[in-house]
Amino acid sequence: MKNSAQRDLFPGALEMMILRTLKRQPLHGYALVQHIKRTSDDLLQIEEGSLYPALQRLLKEELVKAEWGISSTNRRVRIYKLTAAGAKHLERQVSSFEKMLEGITRVLARGES
Amino acid sequence: MRRLRAWLFRLAGQLHKGAADRELTAELESHLKLHIEDNLRAGMNAEQARRQALIKLGGIEQTKESYRDRKGLPMLETLLQDLRFAARMLRKNLGVTAIVVVTLALGVGANTAIFGLVNGLLLQRLPVPAAEEIAALVIKSGDSSLGALGFSYPQFVEFREQTAPICEVFGSATAWRLNFTAERHSDTLTIGGVSSNYFSALGVKPALGRLVLPGEGEHPGEPAILVLSYSFWQRRFGGDPRVIGKQVRVGGKPATIVGVMEKEFRGQFTVFEMDAYAPLSTAFDDSRASNFWNSRDIHMMLVLGRLKPGVTLAQAQSRFDVISRRLAAQYPVTDKDLSVRVMDERLSRPIPYANNAFIVFSGLFLILGALVLLLACTNILNILMARASVRQREMAIRAALGGARYRLIRQMLTETMLTALLGGIAGVTLGAGLNHLASSTHLLDIPVRLGFGFDWRVFAYALAVVVFTAIAAGLSPALRASRADVNTVLHQGGRPDAGGKARHKVRGDLMGAQVAGSLMLLIVAGLFVRSLRAVEHMDIGFDPNQLLNVRLDPSVSNFSETQTKEFYRSLETRVRALPGVESVSLASAVPVAYMLGKQSIYIEGRPVPPGQKAPEVLFNSVDAPYFETLRIRILLGRAFTDADSESSPRVAIVNETMAKHFWPNGSPIGKRFSLTGDAGPFAEVVGVARDGKYRVLAEDPQPYFYVPLTQDFAAQRTLQIRSAMPPDSLAPVVQHEIQALDANDPIEEIQTMKESLGGTLGYFIYRLGASLAAAMGLLGLLLAVVGVYGVVSYAATQRTQELGIRMALGASPRQILFLLLRQGAQLVAAGLLFGLAGAWLLTRVMSHMLVGVSPSDPVTYVSVAALLSSITLLACWIPARRARRVDPMVALRYE
Repeated sequence: MKNSAQRDLFPGALEMMILRTLKRQPLHGYALVQHIKRTSDDLLQIEEGSLYPALQRLLKEELVKAEWGISSTNRRVRIYKLTAAGAKHLERQVSSFEKMLEGITRVLARGES
Repeated sequence: MRRLRAWLFRLAGQLHKGAADRELTAELESHLKLHIEDNLRAGMNAEQARRQALIKLGGIEQTKESYRDRKGLPMLETLLQDLRFAARMLRKNLGVTAIVVVTLALGVGANTAIFGLVNGLLLQRLPVPAAEEIAALVIKSGDSSLGALGFSYPQFVEFREQTAPICEVFGSATAWRLNFTAERHSDTLTIGGVSSNYFSALGVKPALGRLVLPGEGEHPGEPAILVLSYSFWQRRFGGDPRVIGKQVRVGGKPATIVGVMEKEFRGQFTVFEMDAYAPLSTAFDDSRASNFWNSRDIHMMLVLGRLKPGVTLAQAQSRFDVISRRLAAQYPVTDKDLSVRVMDERLSRPIPYANNAFIVFSGLFLILGALVLLLACTNILNILMARASVRQREMAIRAALGGARYRLIRQMLTETMLTALLGGIAGVTLGAGLNHLASSTHLLDIPVRLGFGFDWRVFAYALAVVVFTAIAAGLSPALRASRADVNTVLHQGGRPDAGGKARHKVRGDLMGAQVAGSLMLLIVAGLFVRSLRAVEHMDIGFDPNQLLNVRLDPSVSNFSETQTKEFYRSLETRVRALPGVESVSLASAVPVAYMLGKQSIYIEGRPVPPGQKAPEVLFNSVDAPYFETLRIRILLGRAFTDADSESSPRVAIVNETMAKHFWPNGSPIGKRFSLTGDAGPFAEVVGVARDGKYRVLAEDPQPYFYVPLTQDFAAQRTLQIRSAMPPDSLAPVVQHEIQALDANDPIEEIQTMKESLGGTLGYFIYRLGASLAAAMGLLGLLLAVVGVYGVVSYAATQRTQELGIRMALGASPRQILFLLLRQGAQLVAAGLLFGLAGAWLLTRVMSHMLVGVSPSDPVTYVSVAALLSSITLLACWIPARRARRVDPMVALRYE
């Protein structure tokens, strides 16, 4: 059951976006999805089914931590927070991603001329 | 390190699955609710809101599944899942499970029992330190016609001295069935007479007291001492530690018990366990074996060597070759063509014969065991294939629901493996039980030990057998079932396994293979049984029925020669007067028992050329009524009479073979030969007796002669009584008479001639072979019948619809019966052909194991094939008959 959005994202992209979002503020799962959707102007559709496994991965690697809390609509939700290790990891990921993006952009630009 | 930690987390996740699962479920629930609320706010109705939310989330179960795949150890988890499911399936199909388990238990049981035997006999090393250094030294000399299978004592000593730099040579000679008296009670013991360095070279320890010490007992006349084996100590003295220092009598001579052997060491021969050990001087004292110490012709020592560290068998071999050649040159008469083979001790078992058929024997029975296992496998395969086609629907649906093919195969294999393990456990238990039975039964006249060798090798073997079975029998049905196409299967309208033409063919092949395998087993069994019958009906030259043998040694009482003669004379008179006694006689040897006399003979007028050995011939000293008591016919001349006394001219009676061999032209009557030398004194041949069996049952006719006991004194004699009553009922009365004459109880042994013939040299080995082979044959037959029945009845059920159509179109029940029978018969016939060919090949190795029957004996082949084909056809006929009664209407509606 792989959808196109996930297939198009490179490995690690979902985690990177989760970490980036959580860097701004702690969020619960549903809010995370909504936030990513909103900020990307609906360009990126997060497969909600793959969100939780990704979150579990991050939890296990101690890049995020989670605790139960209450949402704005008064529901019991699990709120995820970035850890120090998570912040460092994000920095590394982003810089390497930017390098890669730059490379890709250059290749694409060259191809046009 | 991180990987390891992740792995540990996963394992922990596995254990705390419940809690983590609940947490995830709660989280997903709340996610859904939030989403639904949003959707409601966006203006959807309740149902739409929920539906959209669910679609977005991609289904709670899938999410959980993909989360779980990361969390636990998927391998372990699916294995546990498979196992749980398999156990459930097995419980649900208890009948099928039971059949498979029992079938496999029989196959594995038979195999482990045989392998246990082979393991103990051939694979396990002696239980001594650094056992890999122990080599067997097998001697072969020019004259091995009389079964010279050991070293003479002088040869042993020479080899021990001359090979000392590379190897410590030690050995033992068995004293069979010596009388042992302790605490006023007599037993017959088999005693290992050991060289003084025997125990030190082996490196075994006493459980109690001491063993034979280096330098002890290698000269006749030293004080007699005895070391008990652990099991004899337990059996006879109840493990009493006070036996040390006890005064006992061995072979009538006083001896002291000095020690008890450690429990683990059960003798050098794996098969025979000695009751006790004694130095050579105790076991072979002057009165019993005066020539033992000097003669190069008495080959009693079975010799081993402990190679010095770093010395290879090949290096030792070349050293022994040099010494053998030197001795052959030094003693051209006795040591002609002498050679010694240095070999792995395990290959020389059970007795270091120069040509050991035992390995072939073991190999044959391992093959038979494998055949039984293959038959069992085939049956299981049949059952599993039938089950697999029933479960094809299930598999197709599982595949349609996204079950990966490898998971389905794994699931099926897990089921098979679980069943096979159950069968394996049952089988090993059965095998161990059989083995225990064999070890605790006192089978024989000598302490034979068959139960042993249940170590890791046996379990590894059993496990290999189980895994092999599970894969051989489980893989193909699993592959088939998993290949099922959901469309086809679901459209078959509930009729499993339609159009399985290929599958029918496979079943047919299996059935043919079963018939073939079972035929091979039965032919081998048939040959062994026929060989046993041939041996039992063999002309042994005398009538063994209604005979009682009482072996006596009055030297315990320190009788003089005159007193001994007087003792025997009055004993014979007394026993002859007992009611029911027909005839009584005395002899120094009993045919086909352990006591043998052998003599060099010198024919009058034909001096032995210098540098050559006089021919050696087996003989017996007997009294006048001997030929009447044993019913040995005198063909020419006369039997001995009371007139043949010490003072009368020396006489002898020869057998037919001896007469033909030494006096080929004309009658031997009146011819003379000497037992001492070319110069005489000579004994005159007065009669020719019928040939018989003397050493072993399977021997070729060989020369033999008799001399009167009056002219060749022997203290140890066997009283032989022919009676009208069952001979063993006479034993107590005879015992009473003997004790009345000699309070010291000189009886060494009482047994009927039939019992004596059942011993190792007699029928035992044939009976053992025949019963083992027969058991395997019957097992094979049973498995084949069940298999054939199963295949035919399954095929008949599968074809119910077709048969219904045939009947609706006018086929008579008779035609239906023949249709089914013809197919069965074709398969059976093909199986028989292959089986006959296989059996012919397999039995090539049996030629040395059979007596009086050829390995390609047509009677066995034809009768066994006929028997098997009728039984298997019957197994076809029963289900075929049932199928013919099918009601066409019912059959067509069966869809």
